[in-house]
Amino acid sequence: MKPAALNTRSTLILIAAALLPAAASYAADATSAGSSTEQKLEQQVELMQQQLDVMKTQLQQLKAQNEALAAQQQQTAQAQVAAAAAPSGGISENLSLWGYGEVYYTHPTHDGALTQFDLARAVFGIGYRFDDRTVFNSEYEVEHGVASADDAGEFEVEQFYVDHQLSSVASIKAGLFLIPAGLLNEHHEPTNFYGVQRNFVETLIIPSTWREGGVALHGSTQSGLTWDVGLTTGMNLGGWDINPEDPQYRTALDLINNGVGPLQATHQELSLANGQKLSQYVSLNYSGVPGLLAGASVFTGKAALPSVPAGLPDQRVTLWEGHVRWTPGAADLSAVYAHGQISNTATYNIINTGASNPVPASFLGYYLQGAYTVWQHNGYKLAPFARWEHYDMGNSYDGIPTGYTTVPGGLASDGKPWPLPHDRVWTLGANFYLTPHVVLKADYQSFDANTDLTRFDLGLGLNY
Amino acid sequence: MAEMQTQNHSLPASARALLPMLFLAAVLTGCGGGIGSTSGGGSGQPGTGDGLSAAAELGKKIFADTALSVSGTQSCGSCHVAAFAFTADRTAAGPDHGSTVPLGGPNMDLPGFRDTPSLMYLSFSPDFFFDSDGGPNGGFFRDGRAGTLADQAIDPFTTPFEMANADAAAVIAKLRTRPYLADFEALYGAGVLDDPDTALKRMGAALAAFEIESNDFHPFSSKYDFFQSGKATLSAQELRGLALFNDPSKGNCAGCHPSTTADGNTRPLFTDFSYDNLGVPRNAAIHANNPATAQSYTPINSDDGAHDYYDLGLCGPFRNNGGLNTSGLCGAFKVPTLRNIATTAPYFHNGRFATLKDAIGFYVRRDTKPEEFYPTAADGSVTKFDDLPAAYGGQFIVNINVPGSDALYVGNVNTLEIPYNRHIGETPALGTTEINDVIAFLCTLTDGYDPQNPTAQALPAQCQAAALSP
Repeated sequence: MKPAALNTRSTLILIAAALLPAAASYAADATSAGSSTEQKLEQQVELMQQQLDVMKTQLQQLKAQNEALAAQQQQTAQAQVAAAAAPSGGISENLSLWGYGEVYYTHPTHDGALTQFDLARAVFGIGYRFDDRTVFNSEYEVEHGVASADDAGEFEVEQFYVDHQLSSVASIKAGLFLIPAGLLNEHHEPTNFYGVQRNFVETLIIPSTWREGGVALHGSTQSGLTWDVGLTTGMNLGGWDINPEDPQYRTALDLINNGVGPLQATHQELSLANGQKLSQYVSLNYSGVPGLLAGASVFTGKAALPSVPAGLPDQRVTLWEGHVRWTPGAADLSAVYAHGQISNTATYNIINTGASNPVPASFLGYYLQGAYTVWQHNGYKLAPFARWEHYDMGNSYDGIPTGYTTVPGGLASDGKPWPLPHDRVWTLGANFYLTPHVVLKADYQSFDANTDLTRFDLGLGLNY
Repeated sequence: MAEMQTQNHSLPASARALLPMLFLAAVLTGCGGGIGSTSGGGSGQPGTGDGLSAAAELGKKIFADTALSVSGTQSCGSCHVAAFAFTADRTAAGPDHGSTVPLGGPNMDLPGFRDTPSLMYLSFSPDFFFDSDGGPNGGFFRDGRAGTLADQAIDPFTTPFEMANADAAAVIAKLRTRPYLADFEALYGAGVLDDPDTALKRMGAALAAFEIESNDFHPFSSKYDFFQSGKATLSAQELRGLALFNDPSKGNCAGCHPSTTADGNTRPLFTDFSYDNLGVPRNAAIHANNPATAQSYTPINSDDGAHDYYDLGLCGPFRNNGGLNTSGLCGAFKVPTLRNIATTAPYFHNGRFATLKDAIGFYVRRDTKPEEFYPTAADGSVTKFDDLPAAYGGQFIVNINVPGSDALYVGNVNTLEIPYNRHIGETPALGTTEINDVIAFLCTLTDGYDPQNPTAQALPAQCQAAALSP
């Protein structure tokens, strides 16, 4: 679809049309027989100046709208690449192949020995368009370069679903698909976010890449409202490691990778998932104002529980979030707030008193992020950014007797204190796009509480 | 096997409520035979014998039969007494006359080499294997030399200092005289008796079936079990003990003795079935450790000048590793369950510590105050890990008057995990009061608790002592 934005030619025509009446008026006044005075002329010039100022303002607004729409469309196009099976490729016009990947260099500033270089993920997607209304989409990921029984890497299916258009305003999908939560989860390709790695709120609190198996209805309206409602698999608290002997992470990279977030630890990824209890979600997004995206979602459902100990009360896991992104011209501003709850955790925590990782009753996170395209030329683009975020994987706990702690008070076996499950993090960095599909990144992340996690990162990301 | 376990470990709530009472009944009637009487009753509860398969019923009879030993006085149940959580009766009035190691042989006067392990919850142990990190796991006996429960069960029949039969044929010859022979033949066929080795294995299968199926061996009726199911409350001291037990920066006991389910289905077993080398001090009370009392059949395996015999656990001398280089495993023994631990004193493979207070004190002060546990010279030099050859990190000389003399250690003994990662003069991971708290918690792992009548459970004296010293 062609962009709705104004192009340069149409802008010039508009300017000429606006100037024409003023020029004609001036010429008529000049030829009138000796009646014009210097004062009138000055008034006319002043009037023209005012008109020009108004037009200049209007032109700037048009230009801003143009850029905002262009940015929005780029984002939409990238999302479509990821989320749908755009027919292309040489085998069949209905078959599509796409992918993305990212490489990290991460250097903890307090302990250079923990510096790592990682092919974090290499992803390919396969889609197939059965007809104009029915498409299949899938996404496969190899993490950490090598996936084998003896390596840290995994081979995962991140999406595998069929989407069928029911009408012009509603579609249905079924299979394994992404949960529409936050700004990043459905648009997790490295070209779509600032910073070498995904932000902590949308990994530790919203467990991107978060996918569940189930069925969903979704659609959009002419006014720019999109909606998505689904019935899916949910969390399994049987997977919770309540008493690890050693800290689960010592670097920011491990913090993200090791599945320590409450939903990271319990989502099932449709891998022999417990299907006894299903969850529900609803998501709304509004993009009717150019350059603005605002939305919210709620995901809730009873969790599968371990059969031992027997008789645990039902536990409901709920995550709600709100997000907004505003792209006025070269600026790119965004914010996310996410809040999670797990009910009835007291019983389980009491019988595991003293454990190093009790189950939280609530967890939350939020961030503010600002980026600005300071330079772009010949396809290159440089966008520095700053992000402030707060995450708290254990905002509150139930079932912790008075006098007992939720984090071991002593030193771990490596002689260091146990990391705290909450922090405030400043991230400063820049994305440098070689093309809209290839980005080089650098950032510095400063941790307020867990200062050992502070690090410098470099990254390469791409999508196609 | 897994299905059988699941079936028998998943009693309805009403049945579980009856477990403590019936378990006590089993204990009271178990002396001598090792287990309770066997008549039916239809409740499927521990001690009744009901609900056992034919193989398990046969195993139960074999387990209690002293006629299968050369002495005519020793059965499986002689060393694995229900009243002592299926470990040995070490009282002076017991068959071992208070000895740390069991006595056996034709005349019941030949000492063994190790403290008798409990059979309780043993059926949950996996067969011996090496995990993906190369760590040994599972198996039976303290050195895991029996790959399966059935293999373990038949080994004592032909051990010279236990039931002392010359070979499988001698065992089967006795089996032919037993009143349950018909049961055996009905199960396995009469022809198998002509192949003694195979017949002995069938006896092992029957014994294993008994240990797997009978809830006598795994009643899950401790106060901790009822606490987990919300039917009992721990005292403040017991709760403090649980917290110290779990806390990885304090006791870190759960590191090897998990208080949580391992697989989401089985209740906590308080062992991860791994092996560890703790550098337990040599116990001179074991006959083989004392040249003056060592048996003629002691396997001499050292010429290091310190001792001519070491019990090296995973790398021998009782376990045969078939030529594999297992030097890194020397001195490691299987991590036992802590269920009923208050009942199974003394502690460790060599029974070196008589009480839980001593055993936990060793855990937390082994490195901060080694002179408490190891030979110490007048100049302050201590020979740590004195029951391990120097080649494997034993005979480690430190000096309590020289800070840092223990800083560099290379060897098999675990010095990295909490609470063993301390050094001379440092604060132990647990203080005296905290040790009492942990003991109070460990006592809640004693089977036979009745939530309707909590005071009815007669806990060992050391539990009462800990409770009086909060």
